[in-house]
Amino acid sequence: MALLKEAYQALEDVVGPDNISEDPAILDSYAYQWLAELINPDGGHFMTRPEAVALPGCTEEVQGIVKVCNKYKIKCKAFGTGWGAWAAPYDKDVVLLDLRRMDRILEIDVDNMYAVVEPYVIGATLQAEAMKVGLNTHMIGAGASAAIIAGVAAFSGAGADSISMGHGSENGLAMEWVLPNGDILQVGSLGSGCGWFCGEGPGPSAKGLVRGALGACGGMGVITKCAVKLYPWPGPATMPIEGKVPAYNSPLPENLRAHTLAFPTWQAFADACYKIYDSGIGYIAHRQFNKWGEALQGAVLKIVSDPTKQLDDLEEMLQRPEIQKLTEEMRHSFQIVLAGMTHRDIDYQEKVMRQILAETGGWEIEALADPEMEKWVLLYLIKLPFKNLNFAMATYEGSFAHSGTPDFEISYIEASRALKRKYIGKGVLADDGGEAMMAAIARQGGGGVLALEQFFFYDPQDINSVLGAQAYLAEAGKVAGEMKLGPGLSGQLLGSKPKDKLQQMLSSVAQPSVFHYQRKIKEAFNPNDIGDGSYVYLEEPSKK
Amino acid sequence: MADKKEELINIVGAENVFDDPETLDAYSRDHSFVPPGKSRLVVKPENADEVQRIVMWANQADTPLVPVSSGAHHFRGDTIPKNGGAVIVDLSRMKKIIRVDRRNKMTIVEPGVTFPQLQPELTKAGLKLPMPLLPRRNKSVLASLLEREPTLIPKYQWQLLDPLRSTEVIWGNGDRFRTGEAGNHGPLEEQWKRNLAQIMSSGPGQTDFYRFVSGAQGTMGIVTWASIRCEVLPQIHKLFFAQSKRLDDLFVFAYRLLKFRFGDELLFLNSSNLACIFGDGVDRIRALRDELPPWVFILCVAGYDMLPKERVEFQEKDIADIAQEFAVHLSSTIPGVTDGGMLETLLNSSKDPYWKLNYKGGCQDIFFLTTLNRTPGFIRTIYSVAEELGYPAADIGIYIQPVQQGVACHCEFSLPYDPGNQQEIDKVQRLFAKGSELLVQQGAFFSRPYGDWADMVYARDAQTTIALRKIKSIFDPNNVMNPGKLCF
Amino acid sequence: MAIEDYRSTMERCSRCSYCKWIPFAHVKSWRFAKGCPSIEYNKFHAYSAGGRLAVALSLLDGRFDYSDSDSLLDIFYKCQMCGLCDISDKICRYTMEPLEALREIRFKLIEDGQLLPQHMPVIDNLRKEDNMMMKSKTERGKWADGLDVKDVTQESAEVVFHAGCRFSYDEELWKIPRTAVTLLKNAGVDVGIMGKDENCCGVRAYNMGYRGEFTKYAENNIEAWTTAGVKTVVTSCADGYYAFKRLYPQLGSKFKVFHTVEFINRLIKEGKIKFTKNVPITVTYHDPCHLGRQGEPYIPWTGEEKKIRNQIVVREPRKPRYNGLNGVYEPPREMLKSIPGLELVEMERIREYAWCCGAGGGVQEAYPEFSLWTATERIEEAKATGAQAVVTACGWCERNFIDAINESGQKMKVYDILELVQQAL
Repeated sequence: MALLKEAYQALEDVVGPDNISEDPAILDSYAYQWLAELINPDGGHFMTRPEAVALPGCTEEVQGIVKVCNKYKIKCKAFGTGWGAWAAPYDKDVVLLDLRRMDRILEIDVDNMYAVVEPYVIGATLQAEAMKVGLNTHMIGAGASAAIIAGVAAFSGAGADSISMGHGSENGLAMEWVLPNGDILQVGSLGSGCGWFCGEGPGPSAKGLVRGALGACGGMGVITKCAVKLYPWPGPATMPIEGKVPAYNSPLPENLRAHTLAFPTWQAFADACYKIYDSGIGYIAHRQFNKWGEALQGAVLKIVSDPTKQLDDLEEMLQRPEIQKLTEEMRHSFQIVLAGMTHRDIDYQEKVMRQILAETGGWEIEALADPEMEKWVLLYLIKLPFKNLNFAMATYEGSFAHSGTPDFEISYIEASRALKRKYIGKGVLADDGGEAMMAAIARQGGGGVLALEQFFFYDPQDINSVLGAQAYLAEAGKVAGEMKLGPGLSGQLLGSKPKDKLQQMLSSVAQPSVFHYQRKIKEAFNPNDIGDGSYVYLEEPSKK
Repeated sequence: MADKKEELINIVGAENVFDDPETLDAYSRDHSFVPPGKSRLVVKPENADEVQRIVMWANQADTPLVPVSSGAHHFRGDTIPKNGGAVIVDLSRMKKIIRVDRRNKMTIVEPGVTFPQLQPELTKAGLKLPMPLLPRRNKSVLASLLEREPTLIPKYQWQLLDPLRSTEVIWGNGDRFRTGEAGNHGPLEEQWKRNLAQIMSSGPGQTDFYRFVSGAQGTMGIVTWASIRCEVLPQIHKLFFAQSKRLDDLFVFAYRLLKFRFGDELLFLNSSNLACIFGDGVDRIRALRDELPPWVFILCVAGYDMLPKERVEFQEKDIADIAQEFAVHLSSTIPGVTDGGMLETLLNSSKDPYWKLNYKGGCQDIFFLTTLNRTPGFIRTIYSVAEELGYPAADIGIYIQPVQQGVACHCEFSLPYDPGNQQEIDKVQRLFAKGSELLVQQGAFFSRPYGDWADMVYARDAQTTIALRKIKSIFDPNNVMNPGKLCF
Repeated sequence: MAIEDYRSTMERCSRCSYCKWIPFAHVKSWRFAKGCPSIEYNKFHAYSAGGRLAVALSLLDGRFDYSDSDSLLDIFYKCQMCGLCDISDKICRYTMEPLEALREIRFKLIEDGQLLPQHMPVIDNLRKEDNMMMKSKTERGKWADGLDVKDVTQESAEVVFHAGCRFSYDEELWKIPRTAVTLLKNAGVDVGIMGKDENCCGVRAYNMGYRGEFTKYAENNIEAWTTAGVKTVVTSCADGYYAFKRLYPQLGSKFKVFHTVEFINRLIKEGKIKFTKNVPITVTYHDPCHLGRQGEPYIPWTGEEKKIRNQIVVREPRKPRYNGLNGVYEPPREMLKSIPGLELVEMERIREYAWCCGAGGGVQEAYPEFSLWTATERIEEAKATGAQAVVTACGWCERNFIDAINESGQKMKVYDILELVQQAL
């Protein structure tokens, strides 16, 4: 259903004719999405085409658009950088709000360590500005290209640095929120005219509406400004970058170190996680490179960190004995970046790290302790500029990733691996060996939980591979349900499910009343139902 | 009312329902200036089932409930019923420490658990809980965390609600609900068998439900247990002080430590507060106050169970270097205080009488959130109002607590007075009222708006008021939970 | 190749938006993090490489027709074809060719008769007058008037200096090819020019989508140089360099190809060019797209894609990778650093991740405002270094910078690198 001419005109009056379009070419550039092929039964690459796309430039324009949508009962959905199918419309008749014109860093308060940003500020740019003043920002797992507000409010929030910089949900302070009814709610201290430093209160915290374990993914109004906590950065004001494209690296002072720690068993791996949480060391802690699979990780790591190598060298690299040794060593490993605020601090952290290795039977992987490798790893983990290397081998998606303690996490590795190997055996997923689990060693500040995300790789051009990947995902959900693993990565795409299926899934969770309350919250705050299906709820009260 | 009493007796048993005048009177007033309000009954449930039945009953009987977790004396006015015919739900019988989990550094407690009850159990397990500053002995741990009372160790607070994590709450509509990670799985026992530990506070789903009970003064529901993040018990724990005539001379030093996350406990107290903590009786407190420096910055350095000596050693040296850089002198003593157990005093619950009542028997607190560098401005304001009203400024206790890893700061003015002296009462009331008003206008964020602060704060923030009322209408549609508080 | 051959690139796009930014490793500030002028100016996602791939896929899949869209031509033509997207994409991706795909899309549009009206007079003039400057062929050799240099149509020479259309017809810039030829001659190089018989290299038409025109000019030039007995082609135009280095070999050209920055840098190192004067100036160097990231030599390859490990696509034999690694970055910097008194300061976006000058891809011809905006952004970046001048090695870049500075009233000088060499002699 095309937008009513009157409605389109009203939207155009808000943003100006250059900042809105209903041209199908432009619209389809927004409908194309990564993971659309795993959602569409026919493996198609396009989500629902929006009715129009608008580019608001300020809060007033966002508010204007939302009010028009209320008047004409049009759905609207906002996104920052829009990476992933959750950024595309789930319903028909949706106006997308591409927030790229709202890209300013409004303030960095150096002493009190927070920044105020607009929706299109990404990790890379906030980090660059923060580092100039001795600070750093939390970046979510999607890396430097992802919008800060996505991690804090709209979407997920864990990242490699969460052990010291918290989860996105922990980093949001005050916010400016255009509610689905067009009112502006200033969350926290902002609403009281006191500035940006606090996201809670007065009294109960309305910030609880902004997000939970997941954000509203654009389905409940628009966060137009957000204050985020910043963290210490004891490195140079601008990170020096050396090396040749694409394998850049960063030589950093001695107080910044990267290590890959390996362990003999999964239990020892889990024990090490606990000791790291207890000891308080670690600036960044991430199981990063295992995402390429237990059989391939060594070879792919060596390819991507060497400017003379490329994917076509994979088969040859897999034959090399030193690569095989590295691959085997990496089995139960993760990376840790230690950042000492002083020389004594880094010395102490290094000592603690060695003690943890001694107590758990672990060791540092020598091949990755080579100075050249360390510089590459430091750059990778600190700036997260290479996160798209998730796709280096093939298109991928993650599965499982059910949060829990380290002891809980290692309990589902084998089941996940076995399931994946079944689909590898069918030929529909890339043969990476089976276990290709990536995880932030701590999903939130100070540690306590992680979520092992089982990567799987498929060819988006090969319909058999795509359908096979869909089948794998469906069975992964079933296995997780039978094992009662709780919510996992699949929650990010709940809104894309057909309505009946969604209702059935929401009714089957441990506490369906969650989604009963979300329906009431939607009714209260989004009375004209202008969000798309991104904010999920049960249609009927749950029967307990 | 006889019917109501009977109905409640059916739920909790006769020995746990009270309507005698002495009991009702005790619950009708507190140390705040909130006008007294008598309840009709007091009930003391033992478990969550009883709480749920009480709440469901209250909905049917159209009867307000006022939850109380801590023992007397109360200070905020939140436990005084505003509406008539209310029933006090005293949760002090619910005092189980449900779980202490060293490996995951978590504890789960019921609302009646106090700090002196919990601390030894945690110590046995090699854990500790970051403390608020000298809470009274009968203070509920859960209530303290729900009300976002600041703790002494800013570095452990990634967010303001830390260390509170998952909760079980009986909403005002009678629904029993688990927030956070606990809400994603089946019964707790099953979760523990599978090595889940209720660590995460977010969700479930796309809503942070626990934020609705935070700072709510019992207006949304009753929390029947909470999981709390603990820290490793220090094996070595050292106390340091830095003195200054001017508060802001210590800021650069403090900001550096906050940024580096050096030290554990980290706070500022003025001489008045310190004297009340370490002194005894009016004369001794006054004398000590004169001996103490105007401002003291308190810092602890701890070593845990992995290389504790090395940790303390390196941090001491680095902190000394930083102190020298900013011309701050650190020592392990402060003038006038000969108490050998200073650390223990500071890190535990208050002795009786509650330390704030030590000086004159009565005390009013004004507290709010701001940033460290803005605190001097607010201090000037309260001093100015005190002077104008003839209140002795030297009596004002000041406590400044960086929170959330230094991004914000709790600023608290304690105004002691003699509750038997009407002149002093009047003066403190005026100081409290005028001071609060000016501080709000100046930009102090009253994030915990007790009593009269509620009207001041919500009058300035219409949209938050609307949002909170909508939330309230969802979780407590019949407005049975502590009606009349906050903006409800 | 045909557009269907790039379906794989389109369908492998993971919508990550890396194509919009410089490689994130190199981001040093909020201000200069952006990489793609098109998305920055035009805003809608369709104006990024990823967006264009999606639009092309949508067209191929029949989700809309040419007649359904008023924006289609703008989407595909408001792009300088600068290749930054290609570099950023290839930081992480090994089996995607976004720039090639974008070019193939233009070829298809032309073949399907979807011609950008603004380009038509330019191409018409090319066909008639053999240049991209809307000028007459008869004026081609005027830049060399009075220059004592061999005419290779009359006598053979080792080296032919190809001025290119911009340098041939832009009188303000004539000093540059004149300086180039003089430097080469004085250094003892056996150099000649085609003069009035020089023709367009064809690459700007190529980047506009006119594959046929390009092939015609390429074949013509290859034949003319062969007839002239030339062994080496030297040019000061980055566009031409790219054509001769990367494209002509695909049509059988076997000439050695150098840009003057390479050739003259070598002469400086060999002592055949000596500096005697100080040039006290602080400059910053702009890497032209077609000399830098697109200035990599052609490596012949014939092979095919195959799958290994079930679903991992690789090429057999190993396919050469054009990701900016082997572009010409050092020679101009060595030249500048060897000039006495000159200080070189770098902008934030350099080398393979340099911001485009704005002139390429048919944008200067069709969307002058967008073209100048792009150049102005670059001038802002140059100013931020504190440099007094921006130096580059391409006439198209120089013209766009000069025009942008004139329009905005900025105080920044523009030099071709050879001008500074000349000043130091």
